[in-house]
Amino acid sequence: MFSDALKQLLDEFSRSGVRELHIRKADFELFLSTDSTSGRARSVSLSVPATLTPAVVATPANAPVVAPAPQPAVAAPSALPAGATIVPAPNLGTFYRAPKPGAANYVEVGSKVAAGEELCLIEVMKLFTAVRADESGTVHSVLVEDGAMVEGGQPLFALLRD
Amino acid sequence: MAIKRLFIANRGEIALRIVRAAQALNVETVVAVSDADRDSAAARMADRIVVLGPASATKSYLDPRLVVHAAKESGCDGLHPGYGFLSERAILPRLCKEHGVAFVGPEADVIDALGDKLRARAMASAAGVPLVPGSECIASAADARREGDRIGYPVLLKASAGGGGRGMVIAHNGDDAEAGFHKASAEAVAAFGDGTLFMERFVPQARHVEVQLMGDGKGKVIHFGERDCSVQRRYQKLLEEAPCAAMPDHLRAQLHQSAVDLAASVNYRNAGTAEFLYDVQRQEFYFIEVNARIQVEHPVSEMISGFDLVQEQIRIAGGADLALSQDQVKLSGHAIECRINAEDSTRDFMPSPGRITKWKAPTGEGVRLDSHMSEGAMIPPYYDSMVGKLIVHAPTRAEAISKLRDAIDDFVVEGVPTTLPLHRAIIDHPDFIANRIHTRWLEQVFLAEQARTAA
Repeated sequence: MFSDALKQLLDEFSRSGVRELHIRKADFELFLSTDSTSGRARSVSLSVPATLTPAVVATPANAPVVAPAPQPAVAAPSALPAGATIVPAPNLGTFYRAPKPGAANYVEVGSKVAAGEELCLIEVMKLFTAVRADESGTVHSVLVEDGAMVEGGQPLFALLRD
Repeated sequence: MAIKRLFIANRGEIALRIVRAAQALNVETVVAVSDADRDSAAARMADRIVVLGPASATKSYLDPRLVVHAAKESGCDGLHPGYGFLSERAILPRLCKEHGVAFVGPEADVIDALGDKLRARAMASAAGVPLVPGSECIASAADARREGDRIGYPVLLKASAGGGGRGMVIAHNGDDAEAGFHKASAEAVAAFGDGTLFMERFVPQARHVEVQLMGDGKGKVIHFGERDCSVQRRYQKLLEEAPCAAMPDHLRAQLHQSAVDLAASVNYRNAGTAEFLYDVQRQEFYFIEVNARIQVEHPVSEMISGFDLVQEQIRIAGGADLALSQDQVKLSGHAIECRINAEDSTRDFMPSPGRITKWKAPTGEGVRLDSHMSEGAMIPPYYDSMVGKLIVHAPTRAEAISKLRDAIDDFVVEGVPTTLPLHRAIIDHPDFIANRIHTRWLEQVFLAEQARTAA
């Protein structure tokens, strides 16, 4: 039954010309992509627990959700140069680039960062967790919009090692 | 004029609690919701909902103009702020007044005065309320050393605009005081935009006691006894009791009188709580601050007094006099509340939003649950982690502990981790049973022991 539905979905996806399809329902999640280099599929399949995602919060529980198109301001991980290191979100929460509203961002594209330097905050239920660079390098790209909800494991920054 | 339609500018269990209180008084209810709370228990029970905006609290529950505008546009003549969010922001009663909406709480000027800790201390002092030995404003590191030497170490440096433990530093000697001045001042600027500091004697093993007050703004103030909220982690209360069984009666009477005197001195209107440090060794209590709102832990006072404080709040906001006299408030038995948070206490209290897959709550005489949760309910990641409060009432503290133990054992929650198992372990601890606890007990003794056992 389930595999029939899945097969039909795959057929229709192939025919449709749509490049990406992302469905979430309760603890079920499916990400389809025609882009074989897509890093997003890997990060999603690795990280999403059987817990809520922001899309589920904002929609009726039984409606499938198609992920919105990526924001233009946000680089696609698939476009990263070789050797870039991805900094993932430690847990689900809201992504903040500055220590408080109105303050300067921790880092910008092109910023040099030292190992252990703060890159951003992730807030869930009033608990703020600082995300730090594992190693020194240069911020190549910021992969998420300030204020967006992110999932545990979702790529936040790409760093180029020194 | 009694309130006919009440706007509820809050969410979670307190929004539901206020809807129920209003309905008991035949007051219509309009619940403000964010996009994430459209399907909440309070929203389902209210007569109407107004969607304030997106899930992010700054764009919904924390926007005072938006909130008051929504109240006015939905035809409400009263507004209840609950706790947290905008409840102690003076701009809310100011905007309400401007728009002819009755605010369920104190006057804006009283909120302003009490919200400034230095002004609140001055008011307490003028009303004859005992203060912890402390300083005026600390202007420099040298000042900090001089005042620390005078007061006697250890001392606590605190932000005047502070709260929640931010901008607070303990100093054990003069060098600490100087270094602490710079640290606390920087923290206070970062957190509150105001680096003003003051200093107090630090009581290493204090209990947190607080008095539930209610005034009608016409000079009459009564109390509903005290609560003991000494089980805390990072200055956040986890479990609260009423009465404070560790306090002798003669001191308890002085405590109540001090709280009432303070509230009467500002002609306090509506519900409020005067918080005190209780130094058990010295048998002294010192004023900390007044919380100018209904508090999370108000149910323990309701359980021992038999009165509905939220209904009383709504009546007073509608212009009614305090119908009760102090003699009519008879306190009996012992009540304990535990805050059920969606947090994993085995993983450093990591917040755990998600869907509740099973929710079977205990029932029985003297067992009360204030919660907006049910099977299938979603706990969104945007707000705090409290999913409910389990409250028990019994003739004695020992019986209340036993009743709470049974209630937690009967409570089934699946889908997300909660702090219920932690509470079960706390109330089984010999120190808790013997009532030998203080505000740092949970962190210094209980959690330290748990960490050692797990290692």
